[in-house]
Amino acid sequence: MIGFSLATAAGATLLILPPGVLAALALARYQGPGKGVLETLLALPLVLPPTAVGLLLLEALGRRTPLGGWLASQGIVVVFTWKAVVLAMAVMSFPLLVRSARTAFEEVDLRLVGLARTLGCGPVAAFRRVTLPLAWRGLLAGVVLAFSRALGEFGATVMIAGNIPGKTQTLSLAIFHNNQLGRDDRALVLAGVTTALAFAALWTAEWFTRRRTRRASA
Amino acid sequence: MIEIDLELPLASFALRVAARLDGGVTAVMGPSGSGKTSLLEAIAGLRRGAKGRILLDGRVLVDSARGMALAPEARRVGYVPQDAGLFPHLTARANVGFGARADAEAVASAIATLELGPLLERHPASLSGGEKQRVALARALATRPRLLLLDEPLAALDVGLRGRILPYLLRVRDEWKTPVLYVTHNVGEAIALAGHLLLLRDGRVEATGAPFDLLATPGMVTDAALGVENLFPGRVRTHDPEGGVTSVELPAGQTIAVPLAADCAPGMQVTVAVRAEDVIVSKGVPEGISARNIYEVRITALSRTGPDVTLRCAAAEGGPTLEWIVRVTPAAVTSLGLGVGQTVFLAVKSHSVRLV
Repeated sequence: MIGFSLATAAGATLLILPPGVLAALALARYQGPGKGVLETLLALPLVLPPTAVGLLLLEALGRRTPLGGWLASQGIVVVFTWKAVVLAMAVMSFPLLVRSARTAFEEVDLRLVGLARTLGCGPVAAFRRVTLPLAWRGLLAGVVLAFSRALGEFGATVMIAGNIPGKTQTLSLAIFHNNQLGRDDRALVLAGVTTALAFAALWTAEWFTRRRTRRASA
Repeated sequence: MIEIDLELPLASFALRVAARLDGGVTAVMGPSGSGKTSLLEAIAGLRRGAKGRILLDGRVLVDSARGMALAPEARRVGYVPQDAGLFPHLTARANVGFGARADAEAVASAIATLELGPLLERHPASLSGGEKQRVALARALATRPRLLLLDEPLAALDVGLRGRILPYLLRVRDEWKTPVLYVTHNVGEAIALAGHLLLLRDGRVEATGAPFDLLATPGMVTDAALGVENLFPGRVRTHDPEGGVTSVELPAGQTIAVPLAADCAPGMQVTVAVRAEDVIVSKGVPEGISARNIYEVRITALSRTGPDVTLRCAAAEGGPTLEWIVRVTPAAVTSLGLGVGQTVFLAVKSHSVRLV
């Protein structure tokens, strides 16, 4: 179950990394109309009750919607499987990743990117060689935050993936489950495990950042 | 050759620049806010909204009528901003080698020209202002640009450092032979480096020409920072450490004593600057005064300029003449009875003379 939680949380984080980085970059650079609406929409899962998000997802994946119908015709079952766990985690973590990454991109001096262009780099190369290395720390913080949020996901998961031990039960679901069954000692152990995992994730990120800072100032 | 015919909308006005510039260094001067940096950014491709055309060696960089603007990476224009703009996450070596077209040979010779050897493994955070500028220059040079844009590369440095960076700029000019647009506020830099000057004011080109002629024309440069009226090309002759003076030869065969400038080797070309109000006028041969430089001249023009009177004086004898601009009070004109055609003596303290 610990392995399942780690794997789904990691999978969800990897899944949202490319679209999250793109969305963050767009928000950091785009200044035109509609920016406010876009920002609000992207932040919505942060403030909505996770159960509401879960319910919306459940409806969207139901057989009556075009998306649900298409998935069913392809023989893909999402609801109440591990895929639903990953989906719930991804949706709930996405805004956190975007927020951190966006701040990180905004802190990169655009003139440096422009200079990279005058030195012969195309837009993609300038992003890879200047923007990314300079925004690296903020991005990493966003990834750790998203991963930790995914690990702790409860509300949306329980709605679309259920709480099936051995199939869709994650750590945070199991803590609740055991507590409900009166097995507080087990619940406490699992809470301890999540604490240790969260600590390890944060500490690893810190370690990377410190090492990088030391190299940069050497 | 670079051909510019641009209209650039800025915050409060539109900058109009039409100019054809040959190789060598062109200094771009003008008051703050006259659009100098914006012009460089438009040429580099970092600023949108420019209307008109920019051609570099016959290649079209911008032609708004045809809706065409080359991407910055396709222009082959090197840009060094005022603060150097080094990539903070890379060593000096990686900065110099950053350019997509920076081959090993170009990188090596850029490093050699700017003497970066000892700095290469350091990050920008640990470099001084002057060192950063040298690294940024090398980074631009290593891409073998067709045009180099330098935005006040010495402005952020203190006076002592400027003198140490200037020789590097001269080397870039003379060894790389890359055409340069050089934005500066400093008359001395413009004269020392540039063969051509573009003077911007109120959103247009006020004057173009040889820097020396333009800057020595009274009234042309009214910017307070440029208030040096007498500029003469000179050549360092001898140093007198005991007397604390350096003797500089002027074109008319005259000499002028300046405060000891031991770092200028004899034979070196320099520019001598004297403010018009620092020149003393005397009707007879001045005797027993401390001023080291005394010249016999004839007044060729006399005009009231604001609260002062400006005299133009030419050397009394024949031959190549130096024209002096002298500013005195109306009271001095009256008490000395000064008039056009009179012969007077000009006295200049050596400490009123600057080498720029």
